[in-house]
Amino acid sequence: MIRLRNLERSYPLAKGKFFYVLRDIDIEIAEGEFVSVMGPSGAGKSTLLHILGMHDHGWTGEYFFNETAVHHLKAKERATLRNENIGFVFQQYHLLDDLTVYENLEIPLSYRKVSKNERSAIVADVLDRFQIVAKKDLFPRQLSGGQQQLVGVARAIIANPKLILADEPTGNLHSSQGEEIMRLFQKLNAEGTTIIQVTHSEKNAGYGNRVIQLRDGWVVEAKSQPTN
Amino acid sequence: MLSEIKVALRGLAKSPGFTAIAIATLALAIGANSAVFSLINALLVRPLAYRAPQELALLWEKFPAQHLERIPVSAPEYLDYARELKSLEIGAFHYADLNLTGGDMPERIPGAFVTPSVFSVLGVAPIKGRTFRPEEFGEGNDNVIVISERLWKRRFNSDPEIVGKTLPINGRTFTVVGVMPVSFEFPIPLFNVQGGIFGQQVDIWKPIAFDKEHLESRADRDYSVIGRLKPGATMARAQAEIDTITSNWIKQFPNNYNPMTRFGASLYGLQDQVVGGMRTALLVLSGAVAVVLMIACANLSTMLLARATAREREFAIRVALGAGRGRLFRQMLTESVLLGLFGGAGGVMLGVWGIDLLRGIGSRTVPRLMEVNLDFRVLMVIFAISVATGIIFGLIPALASAKPELTEALKEGGRGSTSGVSRNRVRNALVIMEVALALVLLVGASLLLKSFVRLQNVDPGFDPKNVLTMEVSLPAAKYLPGRPVGDFYAEFVRHIAELPGVEAAATTMILPLSGTNSDSSFSIEGASQGQTRVFPDEEIRVISPDYFKVLKVPLRAGRFFDQRETADSPRSVIINQAFARKWFPNQDPVGRRITQDDPGKPDPKWMTIVGVVGDVRHRGLEFEPAPEYYLPHSQLPYRGMILTVRSEQDPRSLANAVRAELRRLDPELPVANVRTLESVISDSIAPRRLSVVLLSLFAGVALVLASVGLYGVISYLVVQRTHEIGVRMALGAQRRDVLRLVVGHAAKLVGIGSMIGLVLAFVSSRTLSALLYNVGTFDAPTFISVTIALIAVALVASYIPALRATRADPMLALNHNL
Repeated sequence: MIRLRNLERSYPLAKGKFFYVLRDIDIEIAEGEFVSVMGPSGAGKSTLLHILGMHDHGWTGEYFFNETAVHHLKAKERATLRNENIGFVFQQYHLLDDLTVYENLEIPLSYRKVSKNERSAIVADVLDRFQIVAKKDLFPRQLSGGQQQLVGVARAIIANPKLILADEPTGNLHSSQGEEIMRLFQKLNAEGTTIIQVTHSEKNAGYGNRVIQLRDGWVVEAKSQPTN
Repeated sequence: MLSEIKVALRGLAKSPGFTAIAIATLALAIGANSAVFSLINALLVRPLAYRAPQELALLWEKFPAQHLERIPVSAPEYLDYARELKSLEIGAFHYADLNLTGGDMPERIPGAFVTPSVFSVLGVAPIKGRTFRPEEFGEGNDNVIVISERLWKRRFNSDPEIVGKTLPINGRTFTVVGVMPVSFEFPIPLFNVQGGIFGQQVDIWKPIAFDKEHLESRADRDYSVIGRLKPGATMARAQAEIDTITSNWIKQFPNNYNPMTRFGASLYGLQDQVVGGMRTALLVLSGAVAVVLMIACANLSTMLLARATAREREFAIRVALGAGRGRLFRQMLTESVLLGLFGGAGGVMLGVWGIDLLRGIGSRTVPRLMEVNLDFRVLMVIFAISVATGIIFGLIPALASAKPELTEALKEGGRGSTSGVSRNRVRNALVIMEVALALVLLVGASLLLKSFVRLQNVDPGFDPKNVLTMEVSLPAAKYLPGRPVGDFYAEFVRHIAELPGVEAAATTMILPLSGTNSDSSFSIEGASQGQTRVFPDEEIRVISPDYFKVLKVPLRAGRFFDQRETADSPRSVIINQAFARKWFPNQDPVGRRITQDDPGKPDPKWMTIVGVVGDVRHRGLEFEPAPEYYLPHSQLPYRGMILTVRSEQDPRSLANAVRAELRRLDPELPVANVRTLESVISDSIAPRRLSVVLLSLFAGVALVLASVGLYGVISYLVVQRTHEIGVRMALGAQRRDVLRLVVGHAAKLVGIGSMIGLVLAFVSSRTLSALLYNVGTFDAPTFISVTIALIAVALVASYIPALRATRADPMLALNHNL
């Protein structure tokens, strides 16, 4: 599904020098994998995630997504590819404060030109699937952290993405709430969704089947592991 | 307090961009206010430059049955008033330019013939010598003059021995007895009243010398009368005395005062006559600048609110360290009042420039405009406005900042959502108000502009292009009345017509749209008004034969004047179409006869109508053409005439050649008021132009301020919603979705503001009705187009920050760490 070749990301410094965030990355991720990206702060984990999510365009090298050469695509084409295939889950949930749960879920669909009727049906289905129907008219501030992240995951999968990118999805959650979210990811993965998460937690990484270790922008280790 | 000022100054210096924009905004608004307030101060507030001006009044006569209002008085009438009025001391005057010779070049000087009492009535003393003595009045006793300080300095180099010297004027010798100060305002600056001229100040005063003919004629009304109430007298008592005098005349001189004419005379307070006509325009302008100031205040409030949000942490720390709410409030207000004062200083500078602009636009035609300046009173008002403005726009942000959300604000990255929502509401309301107010001003300015354009496009009935005009007057001492005057002008015109580049030349007694007018009563042969003996009265002109060719006034029937009209030939007259329609409906007027004499008396001098010409707008472009009749100069040889020359090229290039030709005919004859006919028309609409230019300027400022305000609010909104926009983009929002989100928010504000503005504009535009020509106060195309234009400008203003929003980096918005 994903193939990175010699991918590098750098930021210019003074006197024509560069600061490299990612160096010579060669990674392949197959469809259906549940990959955890780990490493210390500043290792380049989130940068890698944003490059995979096609938010970051300032990299060099090759990036193939389902055999599409992302590195040859224009910004608009990348956005279309992203909208069709990728969902995001953030550490800080990033729900929109002024929108209800229902409206937050509806947003990704509205950006994908899904008709109003269809949107209602999909949102209703997801609310039901995540068992948050009762919360649909509440605003994010009226929910607990775990509930907010639940909505965040629901929002990530609502457009039926092939890939979910999750940046420290349980970082702000109580451990029991964190486990619930990880089990949800496992379930989604079992249903066929490829998942790549950035995490500091060995335990959370244990929910996946492969770990990629980054340090100072380099891939130092990529190993498969048995799932929890 | 001093420490608060120091802190405030430091705070302002720390954000130079914000400070510069705030001061510029305020300077624009306060500058507009100071210019208009200077105007109001000079025209309405500051007393006229005469002693106790509230005691001064003008006396005008009237013949309501003939629609003649506010007309001057005749010599015998003046003498009767002067003798019989007990409550009023009066003086008479009329303006007449004088030919001053004796230097290198003869010069035509603006002058006035006055009774000696004029100076004491106006209560202004000379700076040298004296004014006229009571005995220096009447034929043979008028060989003295008073000159102005201007003339004394310019022509006589401030000669300390000027009093007692003699000057050759109009072919006679006059002794200078006094010098009037430059502050002595004469002519009396009357607005829209017969004889009201501005800009050209009188430089020579000469006593009136009523001759025998004048003293016997009650119908030759040439003199304006000004009076001062005597101690203890009232206007009502003076008016009662005037009524008694005029009713006595009606009994005493039934031939002069036909009861059917409802003859009478009225007193008019001088102040009102001077600037009464400008009052509506001034009211509109002061409303406009107040609106500009309100928009500026709203702008500043939104800017300060944004700044307050950015400084929330600073305020929270201050509170945590023990600052009271009052202290924070005072700190914020100190800053805004300081901004107000800096803006006020900038406003004064802009005001000085604005006043120069005002003078440039209308000093010839708007009364007292030359007196407009920034005096102590204006400066005090600007100071008060600056402080008040600072308090007003600082109040809302100060109130908001004085109670920071402590816990939220002190949290790293905290967003203080509750106060943010209420501040956003205030900010949105302020922008809505700005848009609404800007729309009101734009609609008003557009209505005036449309009206002005329509007025400019009105066909005056003649072609003003390529016509040069100049005034000439023949002195009585050198040119005897009658044929010598007629012959001179005929010869003069013949010479000018032969100059290369001249298409045609002619003379006229008065020019259309020049602010002067003349009318005379007449009788139509065979008409029935002989029985009622109320003679019709219409506007009269005296012209030389080619006048209509010079002005390109079309001939509708009969013929123009030509060589057949001589001093001895039967008298002829040409009428215009309005005259023909009114007095000869459905008839051919050519060949009919009228007379200016009483047809009941033996041997009236009949004038045969030889032609009918097109209508000419004389009183103003906005007035329908009035009935006019034209008499040939050869048969009514006036001394003071205006030469009109149609040129093949720029008419100003002919001025020197015409002057040289006149010098060849009579080296002592000066010309005056050399100008093109186009500039005469331009001057005639100068007061309107003043209102249009000012209101358009203020509306432009309002539009800029409102757009800047909207830009600021949307920019702030974009910054505030960066996180949200980033999340939306991460969730799949594309460029157009973000644009729609941001511009949509602006459109909502602009839409609500426009709706409110339209309602306000509907209500307020009624005040403009007196200033509009041929445009309704609810002119739908203007309302619609201005609203669309405002919305377009406002959306462009919001599009720029919206574009910036589309460049939001989702990674940064999502607090991404490397």
